[in-house]
Amino acid sequence: MTMHILSRDWLLSEDPETRMQARLGQFYRLARALMRNPLAMVGLAIIVMLLLVAALAPWLAPYSPLEGNLQNRLQPPSAAHWMGTDELGRDIMSRVIFGARITLFIVLLVAVIAAPLGLMIGAVSGYFGGWVDRVLMSVTDIFLSMPRLILALAFVAALGPGIENAVIAIAITTWPVYARIARAETLTFRTAEFIAAAQMQGASHARIIARHVVPLCLSSTIVRVTLDMAGIILTAAGLGFLGLGAQPPLPEWGAMISRGRAFILDQWWVATMPGFAIVIVSLGFCLFGDGLRDVLDPKGRSKS
Amino acid sequence: MIDIQNLTVTYGGTPVVQGVSFQVGAGESFALVGESGSGKSTILKAIAGQAPHWTGVIAIGGQPLQRRRDAAFLRRVQMVFQDPYGSLHPRRTVDDTLSEPLVIHRLKDRDARVLAMLDAVGLSRRFRFRLPHQLSGGQRQRVAIARALMLEPEVLLLDEPTSALDVSVQAEILNLLADLRAERKLTYLMVTHDLPIVSFLCDRLGVLRLGRLEETAEAASLRRAQLSSAYGQELVARSGAEG
Amino acid sequence: MSLLNVENLRVRFPTDHGEVEVVKGLSFSLGRERLGIVGESGSGKSMTGRALMGLINRPGKVSADRLEFDGIDLRNLPERAFRRLRGARMSMVMQDPKFSLNPVIRIGEQIGEALQFHRRMPARARRQAVLDVLEAVRINDPERVYRLYPHEVSGGMGQRVMIAMMVVLEPDLMIADEPTSALDVSVRATVLEILDDLVRRRGMGLLLISHDLDMVARWCDRILVMYAGRVVEECAAGKLHEATHPYTRGLLASVPRLNETRHRLPVLDRAMIGAGT
Repeated sequence: MTMHILSRDWLLSEDPETRMQARLGQFYRLARALMRNPLAMVGLAIIVMLLLVAALAPWLAPYSPLEGNLQNRLQPPSAAHWMGTDELGRDIMSRVIFGARITLFIVLLVAVIAAPLGLMIGAVSGYFGGWVDRVLMSVTDIFLSMPRLILALAFVAALGPGIENAVIAIAITTWPVYARIARAETLTFRTAEFIAAAQMQGASHARIIARHVVPLCLSSTIVRVTLDMAGIILTAAGLGFLGLGAQPPLPEWGAMISRGRAFILDQWWVATMPGFAIVIVSLGFCLFGDGLRDVLDPKGRSKS
Repeated sequence: MIDIQNLTVTYGGTPVVQGVSFQVGAGESFALVGESGSGKSTILKAIAGQAPHWTGVIAIGGQPLQRRRDAAFLRRVQMVFQDPYGSLHPRRTVDDTLSEPLVIHRLKDRDARVLAMLDAVGLSRRFRFRLPHQLSGGQRQRVAIARALMLEPEVLLLDEPTSALDVSVQAEILNLLADLRAERKLTYLMVTHDLPIVSFLCDRLGVLRLGRLEETAEAASLRRAQLSSAYGQELVARSGAEG
Repeated sequence: MSLLNVENLRVRFPTDHGEVEVVKGLSFSLGRERLGIVGESGSGKSMTGRALMGLINRPGKVSADRLEFDGIDLRNLPERAFRRLRGARMSMVMQDPKFSLNPVIRIGEQIGEALQFHRRMPARARRQAVLDVLEAVRINDPERVYRLYPHEVSGGMGQRVMIAMMVVLEPDLMIADEPTSALDVSVRATVLEILDDLVRRRGMGLLLISHDLDMVARWCDRILVMYAGRVVEECAAGKLHEATHPYTRGLLASVPRLNETRHRLPVLDRAMIGAGT
C-alpha cells in the first residue's frame, strides 16, 4: 500500500478514497500545471532563493553586515568583496544578504495583515449587499483614495520611524484592493444556487461566508497578493529611502540605495547592488504571480 | 401536508404571485405548471423562505410559517434546485456537500449516513470524494437530491429537477424520484413546464398563469388531455406540438 | 450537389490519462437539406460542429479522409482561409446568446461588423442590410433593437439576433448547436420556426445538433444518432419509430409521454449499447 501512495496515478486518480487523497490530488494537478510554465518556475526559483538566503544569512554572509573597516571604505567589487564596500567599510554583499531578511519580514507581515483583512471585508460586503455593502465599501474607498507613500509618511511621522510602523502603514494602504477584489468575486456567484442551497441546509451567514464564499475568493486574492509583493517591496524601499523605514544601521535595501545616492557616479556599486536585489526579487514575485493566475483560473465555474 | 392560502408574493412592489390557494396532502405529489414568468418557482421560493415579501398563509403539517425558517422547518422541508451545475459548490467534494447538513444540525454517524445516502440515490461510493466538475449532469443532480434528503425531510420542493439534464439522463432521475417517494413516503411539490413529467410523477397539478392559479386538476385528466381551463388546454396543445 | 462531405472524421484530445478520441470516424454528407445530429453530452456531437467550422485548436487534433465544404478541402485549411468562409459561407449558431454576443457592443453594430469584414459596403447600405435581416428573424421593431445592447433583450430575442448575425451574409450552410437549450420553453418553438423558415427560403443546408430527439425529429429531414463518438443510427425523420439501434430505441422509450401510465421509465442500458458498437 505504501508503495503506491504519492505515486502519480494515485494522485491523479478519478476516484479518491479519502479526503486527504482528494486534496493532495487537487494540489498535485495545480502544481503540474504550474510547472509547465517556465517563467513561473523562474519566479519560483527566485522566491525560493530569497527564502534560503534569508534563512541561511549568518552562514552565507562572508562578513558582518554591521561592522565595517573604515580603511576599506568604498572599495569596488573584488575577490575579497564581491559587491564592494560602502561608505563605512561594510561588505555590501553581506548587507544585501541580511537585508533579504528585512525585506521578507516586511513583505510577509504586510501580506498577513492586509490580505485576510481585505478578504473578510470584501466577502462580507459582497455577501450581504445593501447597506452593509455601502458602508464597508465607502470605508474601503476612503482608504483606497489615499496615496500609499503619503499615508505611510503621515503614519510614520505620527508614530515615529521604524520597520514595524512602516509595515503597519503599508498594510493600511494595501488592504482596500483585496477588499475590492474579494467583493467583485463574491458578487459573481452571490445569486448562485449553491448559496441558496447552503441556506436551505440551515447554514448561518458566518458559515456560508467562511466555508462557501471565502474559498472561492481565495485564488484571486492569492494571485493579487503575489503580484503586489513587488509593489510592497518598492514601497518599503521608498520609505527606507526617505529614512522612514528601517533605521540605520539595519541593512534595508531601500535605505542602502539612499545612502549610496551620494556616491552614485564614482562608486556606483553602493546604490546599484541593493537596487539589483530589489529588481530581481520583484521580478520573481511578478513572474510567479502571473503563473499562479494562469493556473488558478477557476475552470470549475464554466459549464462543461 | 402543505396548505397555501391566498399567497401573494411581491418583488420590488410588483406582485409576481397573486392570491394563490391550494393544498397538497401527505404523501401526495403535486405539480405547478406554467410558462416562465407564471410565478411557479416563486411559490417554491416563498415556501423555502427565500422570498422576503409575501402575504397569506403557508402551513406545513398544520403549522403556519413565519417570516424566518427555523431548524425544525428545515428538517421537514427541503429543496432540490434546478441547475445541477450551479447548485453544488465547485470546490467542495461530494462528501463535503453531503456532510454539511449533518454538521450544521449536529447529527452523528456522518460517515454511515453519507454512505447510506450515496447508495440510496444510486451513486457509486467511489464518487464520494470527487468534485462537481468530475461528475456528469445526472450524477450531480443525484448529489443534489441526496443532499436534500440528508436531513430526512417529509416534503421535497423540486424546482424543474430534470430540465437542465440531457434527455437520455432524465428517465434515470425521474425513476429515482419516483422510487424515493415510494420508499420514504415523501410529499412532492414540483415545478415544471414539461407536462409529460407531470403525467409520470404526479397525482395532481395546478396551472399557473401570470401569477394566478387557473385550475387544479387530477393527473388523470392531464393524461386524457382534458383540462378544464382554456389556458390549460392551450398548454396541453403546445406540449404535443413541441414533441 | 453536396454541400458537405465528411468521411472518417476523427477528433482527438490529449488528457492526463492519454489521448482520448471524442469523434471516432464519423461519415456523412449534407446537401441543401436539414440534417439533425442527436446525442447526449460527451457523444461528440458538438465537437463535430466545431471541427467543421475549424474551431478546434491545439492541443485538439482533427483528421479525416475527406472533409469538404462545397468542394473546398477543410483539412489543414489555413486560419485566414477559414475566416473568409466563416460567416460568409458557413455559419454557426451556438447555445447561449448571453455568451455568444459581445455585451459591450450594440446589436446593430455587431451584426454590421460581420458585413464589414466580408464585404465593402457604404454605411447606409450596411445599416439597411442589418435592419432587413432583423426583420427576417421576425423582430418587430428593428430600429429600436438595432440600438440595444444584448443584455437589454430577452433570451429568445437574443438568439434571434444571433441567427440574424449568422444569416446576414447569406451563407450556404448553417450549423446550429443546441440553439434552444438555453431558452425558455415557450419561445423554443418560435425560434426553431424562424430558423427553419430562413433555411428553407434561402435554400441553406442546416446541421441541427441537439440532445433532444423529439425536437430534431420534428425539424429535420434526416437524423444521425451519435453515441460515444460514433454514429449508431441514420434514418429519415419520419421513420424514427422504425429505428433499430438499441440506443435510439432506448432514447425513444425513455421519454415520458403526456398519456404516461408506466410506473418506471425504461433506462438506457449503456453496458449493452457499449458492447454493441
